[in-house]
Amino acid sequence: MKSLMTRRDFIRGTSLAVLGTAIGFAQNPQSQVNKSRVILIRHPEALDENSEFNGPVIQQMLDEAVMKLLDQGDPAAAFRLLVKPDDIVGIKSNVWSYLPTPPEVENAIKRRLLDAGVKEENIGIDDHNVRTNPIFVKSTALINTRPLRTHYLAGMSGCIKNYIMFGESQPDYHPDNCADLGSLFNLPQVKGKTRLNILCALTPQFHGRGPHHFSRRYVWNYKGLIVGQDPVAVDTIGLRLIMAKRRQEFGPGQELPPVPKHIQLADTKYGIGASDLNRIDLIKLGWSEGVMI
Amino acid sequence: MKGLAQSIPKKILGWVTAGQDAVYDRKTIYDYMDGGAEVYLAFDFRNVFVRKYKGPSRGEIALDIYDMGSPEEAFGIFSCDRQDPEAGIGQESEYGSGLLRFRQGRFFVSITASGDEQRAEKAILELGKAVAPLLGPPGSLPDLLKCLPETGLKKDRISYFHAVINLNNRFFVASENILGLGRETDCVFAEYAASPAETGDLLLIRYQNEDRTRVAYESFLKIYLPEAGPGGAALTEKRKWTMARIHGNYLAVVFEAPSKEYTEVLHSAIKFPQK
Repeated sequence: MKSLMTRRDFIRGTSLAVLGTAIGFAQNPQSQVNKSRVILIRHPEALDENSEFNGPVIQQMLDEAVMKLLDQGDPAAAFRLLVKPDDIVGIKSNVWSYLPTPPEVENAIKRRLLDAGVKEENIGIDDHNVRTNPIFVKSTALINTRPLRTHYLAGMSGCIKNYIMFGESQPDYHPDNCADLGSLFNLPQVKGKTRLNILCALTPQFHGRGPHHFSRRYVWNYKGLIVGQDPVAVDTIGLRLIMAKRRQEFGPGQELPPVPKHIQLADTKYGIGASDLNRIDLIKLGWSEGVMI
Repeated sequence: MKGLAQSIPKKILGWVTAGQDAVYDRKTIYDYMDGGAEVYLAFDFRNVFVRKYKGPSRGEIALDIYDMGSPEEAFGIFSCDRQDPEAGIGQESEYGSGLLRFRQGRFFVSITASGDEQRAEKAILELGKAVAPLLGPPGSLPDLLKCLPETGLKKDRISYFHAVINLNNRFFVASENILGLGRETDCVFAEYAASPAETGDLLLIRYQNEDRTRVAYESFLKIYLPEAGPGGAALTEKRKWTMARIHGNYLAVVFEAPSKEYTEVLHSAIKFPQK
């Protein structure tokens, strides 16, 4: 299904709810039972006064998010629902030099995997070498984590796009604004293995400049994590955050050029998750000032 | 590029080269850019020379010199992403928050800092001043710019490009390529001050032939402006007017003008070439 969107559709959307419908992220309302749960957690001290990441606070945020996601009272118990002690776990990170996955997030994930009984030698963290890294080649479980940002071609880089390194050729996924990124989740090395998606909205990037689509002036300290088991639902919430920030900064019609069509197609064409806000149960935890969504 | 590389300073204000220089062409550019490659490949990009500098403390400066094949294409890539004040380097430039962009002849140059942008600012500007004279004589602007009406034209808000990816990153029109843009089309997008408080935008596209122009015009009206009357104009959201018309192998679209009269004024002032 192609859902053609024009500038006029964006301008008509005078609220984010209308915009969500306008870009095809609202389809058929379903019961609460079938919804993908997504946790948005924020903490005012996730970054310190020097904008350095605060490891203990980030650990606490991840723990609270995963406990709420899985209705558990203890982080290790929650992670034991995600992985078994004999799992081989690849943490798919992101090393983009301008805005990488913070080591504090990687370390927080690894610590809880260890607490859940996974052996240290069976845990790997990688980005560019996931096709050849032995841990990822043998992996029985994957944890997907990366920062939230805009992208010249795909519109938005989130958890779906983070798996592009599992593809044999990255440019093969670029046509039509990266429309087919959802297919990555059906690759043999990946299919059925993703246990958790953590979209880092600690310092999201809402606009890009220059050859590398980065200028620090378009990064803000949102101090949040978006966590869920459904990568499409997690990205859908990330997209709404980016759209809200762009609307605030740039005005109507500038919410997100180009439209990140891969998120919707990951749902409607590849069936790997929910892009329909009516099928997403968003739970917000923690700091609410400037939450925007 | 080899001779050029030897002339570029290896040390500037305490910043020194780090690692090997690199050159990427149309096939290998993907190894250098995450997602930005298509923006350059939509132009006549030939190759890019890359040199990194490490600073006295932490941080890095990346010097990218893009051979865009012609001065017109160099103007194109420069013009599609212009927001900051002029820096007085090369033929045209801008600097803001650790990002210097300028064009000279057939070259487009980007110098970016990662890390402490404020600390890197002086070195970035000095490096730009050192590189610009090495890039040869100035070049000409795309001839399509001569068609633009001059009254009210914001001269630093003109963009020249070919493909829909550049249009949509500059001014989102639609999620599909409803105007049939590609390497063979020449486009200019320009912002106008209709009055001190009001603006309008003009998109002018030159197609290969009149048949393609007609197809694009009909596609645009059907998808974007279905309520347009015989004159190709309609009142759109927020009481703004949009109007599309064709002239030979040119399609002109006035977006979001304050009045129908202004769309007519702007369109009638376009200086289409005489056949």
